[in-house]
Amino acid sequence: MGISLVIDVLLALGLVGLALQVVAGPSLFRSIVLFVVFGLVMALAWARLHAPDLAMAEAAIGAGITGALLLMTYRRLVELNPEKRGETYLGSRWLAAPVGVLTGVLVGLIGWAALQLPPGDTTAGTLARDALDETGVSNPVTGVLLVFRGYDTLLEMGVLLLAFLGARAVASGRAHSPGTSEVSEPALVGALLSLVVPLTILVGIYLLRAGGHAPGGAFQAGAVLAAGGVLLSLTGRLVPTDHTPLVQRLVLVLGLLVFSGMGLFMLFAGSAMLSLPGTWAIYLVETALMISIALPLALLFAQAPGLKGRGH
Amino acid sequence: MAEQAMILLVFLPLLAACLAFVLAGTPARVIAGITMAALPALMLPITVDVIDQGEIAHSLGGHAAPLGIRLVADGSGALMLWLVAIIGSLASLHAWFSFRDQPDAEGTFWPLWLILIAGLNGMFLSCDLFNLYVAMELVTLSAVALVALAGGPVALSAAMRYLLLAMLASLAYLLGVVLIYNATGTMDFRLLAADLEATPEVIISLVLITVGLLLKTAIFPLHVWLPRAHASAPGPVSAVLSALVVKASLFVLYRIWFWSGAELDLAPAEWVLGLAGAGAIIYGSLAALVQSRLKLLVAYSTVAQLGYLMMIFPLASLLAWPAANYQIMAHALAKAALFLAAANILRGQGTDRLQELGGLDRRQPIDLFAFGIAGVSIMGLPPSGGFLAKWMFLETAWAQAAWGWLAVMVIGSLLAAAYIFRALAGMLTSRQTEFQARIRPVHRAMSLSALALALLALASGFASSPILELLGLEPPGLSVDS
Repeated sequence: MGISLVIDVLLALGLVGLALQVVAGPSLFRSIVLFVVFGLVMALAWARLHAPDLAMAEAAIGAGITGALLLMTYRRLVELNPEKRGETYLGSRWLAAPVGVLTGVLVGLIGWAALQLPPGDTTAGTLARDALDETGVSNPVTGVLLVFRGYDTLLEMGVLLLAFLGARAVASGRAHSPGTSEVSEPALVGALLSLVVPLTILVGIYLLRAGGHAPGGAFQAGAVLAAGGVLLSLTGRLVPTDHTPLVQRLVLVLGLLVFSGMGLFMLFAGSAMLSLPGTWAIYLVETALMISIALPLALLFAQAPGLKGRGH
Repeated sequence: MAEQAMILLVFLPLLAACLAFVLAGTPARVIAGITMAALPALMLPITVDVIDQGEIAHSLGGHAAPLGIRLVADGSGALMLWLVAIIGSLASLHAWFSFRDQPDAEGTFWPLWLILIAGLNGMFLSCDLFNLYVAMELVTLSAVALVALAGGPVALSAAMRYLLLAMLASLAYLLGVVLIYNATGTMDFRLLAADLEATPEVIISLVLITVGLLLKTAIFPLHVWLPRAHASAPGPVSAVLSALVVKASLFVLYRIWFWSGAELDLAPAEWVLGLAGAGAIIYGSLAALVQSRLKLLVAYSTVAQLGYLMMIFPLASLLAWPAANYQIMAHALAKAALFLAAANILRGQGTDRLQELGGLDRRQPIDLFAFGIAGVSIMGLPPSGGFLAKWMFLETAWAQAAWGWLAVMVIGSLLAAAYIFRALAGMLTSRQTEFQARIRPVHRAMSLSALALALLALASGFASSPILELLGLEPPGLSVDS
């Protein structure tokens, strides 16, 4: 009890301290790095709160992918405006104090209200736990995401596709200069990649499979796969293309097509929309989701409409 | 049959977006065209059943609420779905021709457009607060991307501001939903009604949800993102943003206020919302009056007309409900027509500066005509739909002796007449300016889609009885204190 309380207090203080450093830090680069650290400490906090699925999502997406995107953006900013390197790009600060006070009051109120809440007897959450047996998966998070509230997950796939399309809309008319300059790379990079990239695929597929009964699932697995793609494009193994190739366009919408196609099939076969015919269907949908999650994340990172292998 | 049609309203555009993205080019345009034309056909069986049975519902995955998510189409929802179908198809017709000469943008446009339509239909059908959040994200993100598609620094910075404020709004909404779920154990906004009590956490969550939705709806003083975003977007996008997207979040607010909160006494807050609406009417109208660009004038007019929709809160009664729904419909049709006509004028003249639009009656008569007809409904002149909506609002205020609100609405209508006539006067003067370099041809179909919407806005003033029949049952929150 004593030790765990100390850990919790340290985590809470660390989170607040890191958040303050991220927002009020003197340099943009430092803020980005600390934001990644914040995400990792947040993942620890989720783990302490017995929410391992959230912890993994936070580490993979909140810290990993978001941090990578922020760093890419920073590099681009420095490229565009070299003399401003390291300077904070945050705007006027006279609003900072009132906004900070307001946010503090709001957080205080919400925290206070949350403490008032009695633990509910029959919530949607307890109902989901009770009905988990009929789903064929024993991880309640996967049960909720795929079976009870699959519609939300399906629409979230639309949001991911939108993120890609939105980036395309903003970038249209602006030619992106892919880093074509051949940089000599350290000799160990190739060896390291040949070790790490197969591992990301292995871990991704493991997470997907494990999602049925333990923390994991399509989102975490997709993020890990995307990390493999990020590594390959960082080291120049994957290079941007001008247009999205047909296969990659298909992969981007695969999750949506498979999930809603199966749902519509069940609907017109006389069952309810998005009801799944068995555990195999859950894994099929999750596999499609994983692939359709990984590709847009990797493409967003590469700031490219598509990717191809070097030398093609 | 109706249930399947209801589900297809979301999934048909969603799948069409995927196909349009994969196939690209001309097939994408054809897929989008067929999909949009199918929407009114899908609405027919839904409408028949809604009038017949009051509402239709489907539990997704076969899991009943609160465990699963329900889709529900009721009277007011069906009216909104009709608006999406009609305005969406006519705006698509416009986009078919206006995006044809921009192959780069068009490849991204149709998937974004179809996802926006799917998201809107999803919002009007959803009965679940969290699902509404996801559908709202679909709508917001596609709307932001479509604004950015116009290209250029003005559109990009408008899109960025829209994105940041909309994300802030989503966050506030989501925080509120989390608190409400913790207090009641459900997110189905009808089941909620039984469990909501005026405890501190419920009040905090309602405040968060309301502020979030008001920011998304761009109600004064939270409107700052709207004028630039709506004015700099491509024509059909502006039309759908002003006609439907801002109404969707307001529709959610109505749902939460009058269905979920039916048992709560919200009177003090209703006053605050009414004041915001009055501010919107006065400020938006005055701002529209001083604009020098046509599209900005139309955008500020949206800020003003949205204010009327807040009048339902202080005037909450059985009469205010059809008035608000009528205002949503009439404004949606008229504003879509105004934006399409303004886009045609901008395209045909190379500028939308009011000073340089003289002699438009000879150069673009159909667009000018459409603008004028739609203007009649915005001003609230008989026999338009806008007249009927404002008349019902005034009648409500009169019956409750609410002279303050009545005065604001009358002043708003006079100011609306002023800004519409100011625009028309500029276009009808004979002063001819030299032709600009950036003029592009306006296809006849683009003008006709604007005209069709304007005529529909006018016609909705005549066709009140089927529309009021469709509206059907009033929300429970309004039927108690009439």
